[in-house]
This record gives sequence, structure tokens and C-alpha cells, in this order.
Amino acid sequence: MNRLKRRHLARSARMATVYIVVISIALVILFPIYFLFSISLMSGYEAYYEWPLPLMPSLRANVRFVHEENQQFHLEIYNRSEGGFTPTGPVRFSSNSEGLEKVTVYMRRHLNVELEDAEISRYLAEATERGSVQVKLGKSILANYITFFKVTRDAVPSVVRSLLTAGITILISLIIGGMAGYAFARYVFGGKNALKIGVLFVRMFPAVAIAIPMVIILGSIGLYDRPAGLSLIYSVSQISLTVWIMTSIFSGISVEMEEAALIFGTTKAGSFFRITLPLALPGIAACAMYAFIGSWNEVVQAVVLTQFRPTFPVVVYQALVGAEGQVNLVTAGSIAQALPAVVFTFIIRKYVLRMWGSVSV
Amino acid sequence: MVPYVLIAPAILYYAAFWLFPVVRAVVGGFRTAEGVFSLQNYAEIFQDPVFYEALLNTAIIVVLSVALEFVAAFGIALLINRKFKGSTYFLFVAIVPMALPSVAVGAIWTSGFTTYGWLNSFLNHVGLIAANEKIAFLAGSDASSLLLIVIIDAWHVIPLMLIIILAGMQNLDPSFNEAGLIFGGNKWQVLTRITIPMLKQTITTALILRLISALQIWLIIVMLFGFRRLPVLVQEVVYFVEESHTEHYFQIGLAYSVLVAVFVSIVSIVYLNASGAFKTRGSA
Repeated sequence: MNRLKRRHLARSARMATVYIVVISIALVILFPIYFLFSISLMSGYEAYYEWPLPLMPSLRANVRFVHEENQQFHLEIYNRSEGGFTPTGPVRFSSNSEGLEKVTVYMRRHLNVELEDAEISRYLAEATERGSVQVKLGKSILANYITFFKVTRDAVPSVVRSLLTAGITILISLIIGGMAGYAFARYVFGGKNALKIGVLFVRMFPAVAIAIPMVIILGSIGLYDRPAGLSLIYSVSQISLTVWIMTSIFSGISVEMEEAALIFGTTKAGSFFRITLPLALPGIAACAMYAFIGSWNEVVQAVVLTQFRPTFPVVVYQALVGAEGQVNLVTAGSIAQALPAVVFTFIIRKYVLRMWGSVSV
Repeated sequence: MVPYVLIAPAILYYAAFWLFPVVRAVVGGFRTAEGVFSLQNYAEIFQDPVFYEALLNTAIIVVLSVALEFVAAFGIALLINRKFKGSTYFLFVAIVPMALPSVAVGAIWTSGFTTYGWLNSFLNHVGLIAANEKIAFLAGSDASSLLLIVIIDAWHVIPLMLIIILAGMQNLDPSFNEAGLIFGGNKWQVLTRITIPMLKQTITTALILRLISALQIWLIIVMLFGFRRLPVLVQEVVYFVEESHTEHYFQIGLAYSVLVAVFVSIVSIVYLNASGAFKTRGSA
């Protein structure tokens, strides 16, 4: 009995260790992402004037309107890390329309608060009466995201271009890669292994190195700085992946089904389109999403191959490395860029293992 | 006949959009800006002290990151393969970084490693450092900067390696491991003498894919440190094309990219040869 108990204890201890390790790994992965997200919800004031950065973005800005004298006011803002109000903002303003304008702009830009003139006037009137008035103003939560798309030149059109690029890339790589994948899965033919190694070899030439001569080649066919031109290049790396993935998908569908259809009088093409293709459809959809992620996330070749018509990742990249980007806005842009890829990965999470399962050199 | 028709589009596509630009790059690398044959570009690269620095940095990054990432990915794969309660959710969490675009990864870590960034804030919140003890992560020595890059890259790409290894593990027949245990082997012996040898092809695949892409790390370095603070080979390619203003910058960029491709191919072939990938294929 005692021995049984001890063994039980040892087992529990082992499970506890496993979970501790698992949770710490999950935290190492999720914490950085959480902080990126958290900063993307902070106002400029929180991101720049509060240190240590708060663990959570605030939902409201705690502001005090202080009346100095003769309708002259200043703003004090509650600083969470310092634990008190500090004078900030437009140093001194009056209750005239110019002053109101100053306050509105400051609130919008640094506190992510939208305030109407009438409200400000009311607070100022109260402050005149009582010396100062303290209010908690609701932040507009998605302000950074909206501002990023508004102030970053070309942000919205670049999203459209990125979607277009991804669409064409999916089309090219699925058709061409799917055909080759089917051949790899169903036929034995000379040079098969050489081709498989060739697919690997293609990756050895740096992606950016392909992009450089492509500047001239695409220029000569009029596709430089265009989504279609970019997707031609993206398809190069996507096709090799698609071939691998499609091979494993088609291998998973038994040949007998096709043969049965042939016996019942369909043509070879008919059996493919009526039997194999519908069965492969979920896998193909997963493969398309994978190609979307690859194309949507790509930035290296896009930096070289675009000039006046950048894709969305290039816009975010330039905001990140350029001096003009405010950290809370750039993080909002990055989150917006990361979101589709993470959602798609969630959708295809069951396929990911199978996709890569058959990849081998 | 049918299979060749099916793979013909892929081959033609590669000829047009891979082989053609590669040939253009190779030819362009041997030309001056006026289009005359010359070895000038390569001579300039080899005379540039930054080239040797880049070569060394690349080598360090590759060795450290491939080793670290392989060990970590293998460990996590073993963990998930125990199929504990909730392991499928953990798997999704573990592959999230793989889905993140490199720009988002750059944003995470630039906002993290700056002196006033979230990492120092976090360390302060949990009481590990005082407000005046902020660590200047990005201003450290070259060695520590390289280490930062290796860590960030590991954070980003361990998931892909994990997926490949885990997929290989799940294809293994568990009865081999059970047999090993029944015949008196301990867990470590079963792992090193049964599991790892049987996973050899998977491991080769994971390592070669990683090796190839580790040799091409550069964007995260530029996002953290800017150009040429910590030069690596591919970064130099981009530097010459996008940032440099010498008259034949474009040709130097091409020559550089050819050099990188040659390095990558040599390393890959040496590795594949050493791992026996060519031999197993010949016999199969």
C-alpha cells in the first residue's frame, strides 16, 4: 500500500514538472506578444511618460484641469508609474476657441481621448469655480489602429495591394505546385529525386538575391513595383512548399477510389475532378492559407521590388525603422499585420503537422 | 509521359523566375556598371574588411542558432509527444511565433530591448532591477548583440523546427520504444539508441532547412541595430543595393549575392554529405 502511494506521488510530481515546464514555455512565447498588444492600446502619454511601462493599458485617462488665474488654465495628467498628477500638455491655455483647440488636439494625439469643445468648456467653467476639476475620460480603445492607418502614408492602399499579391500568389502556386504535387504522389518517374533535391536547392539562393536581378527583369516586362510582379517572385518559394504539401495531401487519398471511378466508366480527368479533388479540398484550402501567410508576411523581397506602391509589410517596416513612427502606433500596425496570419494558423493548426510530416530531403 | 506534363509548368516556372534571375545575377556580378567583364566587384568585396566581419558574424549566428534551436525544438517535441492533457492547445501556442510576420517580430523585440522598453519594465515590475538599473540591451558588446539576435531568431523559428520534428516523431511506431523499454533499456537509452536513429531523416530535414535560412538571417538585425552595426552576409547584399551610393553598387550587390549562394550551397552539401542523405537516397 505504501509503495503504491509512493509511486502515485512520484507520478504526480512528474506531471507537475511537465506542467511547470509547459507553462513557462507558453509564457516565454505569449508574454512578448502580450506586451506588443498592450503597447498598441496605450496612448502616447502612457508609452512615453510612464516608466516602468504599465503591465496593462489604462481604459481611461485621469486628467485634472487647473485654473491658474484670469481664465488661464493648465492640464495635469495622472502618471500611473509616478502615482501622482504632473503638469503636462499645452503648458498654458485660456478658455477661448484657440485654447479649446489646443486641448482637443493634445487629448487626441497624446491621450487617445476624443473630447468636444462643449465638454471642455464645462470642465473649465467648473475649474474656474473650484480652482481645479478632476475627471476620468474614456479612451477610445482602437485609436492607435485608426491613427496608424490615417497618418501612415499609403497604409490602406498597401493593404489592398498585399491582398491582391497574396491572391495571385495563391492562384499561381496552387495550380503549378498542385500539378507537380499530384505527379509526385501518384507516379514513379525518372528524375523524381533530383527534382526533390532541386526544390531544396532553390532555397539556397538568398531570396533577396533573386529580387535584385528581378528589378531589371520585371522592369522590362512592366511589372516592377506592381502586385502581379511581386507575386511572380513570391510564387517561386511558395511553389516548392506547395509541391511538398500537396504531395502529402494527395498521398493521403487512396488510389483505389480513383481506380473504382475509372471502372465505373469515368475518364482519368473525371475521376480526378470528381473524386480526388473534392477529397483533397480541405488540405488544399489549408495549403492556400499557408501560401497566403507566406505572401502576406513577406517583407524582404518587397522592400527591394517596390518603390511607390509598397505592400503592407513594407509600410509597417518603414514605420518601424524610420524615425517618424511612434512606438504605440507602430505596434498597432504590427498587430494589424500579424492578425490575419495568426487567425489562419489557428484555422489550419490541425493540418500543420500533416503538411510538414512528409517534408524530407 | 503524364507525370512529366504535370511537372513541366513547375520546371518552366523555375526556369523563368528562378534560373533566369540567378544567371543574370552571376553574369552581372562579373560586370562593371558599363557592362564590361571584370573581376572588380569581387576584388572590392574581398578587400572590404566588413566582408570578413560579416562572414565571422554569420558563422557564429549559424552555429549558435542551429544548435540552440535544434535542442530546444527537440525537447519541446518530446514534451508534446507525451500527449499530456492540453497538449494540443500547447502545440497551437508553441507555433504562434511561426505565424508572426518578421516585421511584427521586429516590433516586439525593438520595443522590448530598448532601454525604456517593456522588458526592462517587466524586470522592474517583478522586482529584479531598480528603476536606475535599466539594462541597455542594444548598446552591449558585439558578442552580446549577436546573442540577442540568436535568441530572437530562436524565439521566432523554433516552432517550424518543432513542427517538423514532432511530425516525424508521430510517424514513428511507438512499439519500437516499448520494445526497448521492455528489454531493459532506460528512457535515455531508448531516446538515444532508438528514437533519434529512427528520426534521422527528419532531423536531417529540419537541420538543413534551418541551416539554409540561418545563413540568411539579416532583417531582424537591421530592425534592431540598423545597417552595418552588426554586419552579416545577406545584410551586406541589401546594404549595397539599397543604401550604398557607389557607382556600381548594383553589380557589387549581385556579386555579393552570388558569394552568399555559393557559401550556402557549400555548407548545405557538406552537411547533407556528412549526414548521409545522399547515400540513403542512392540506395532507396
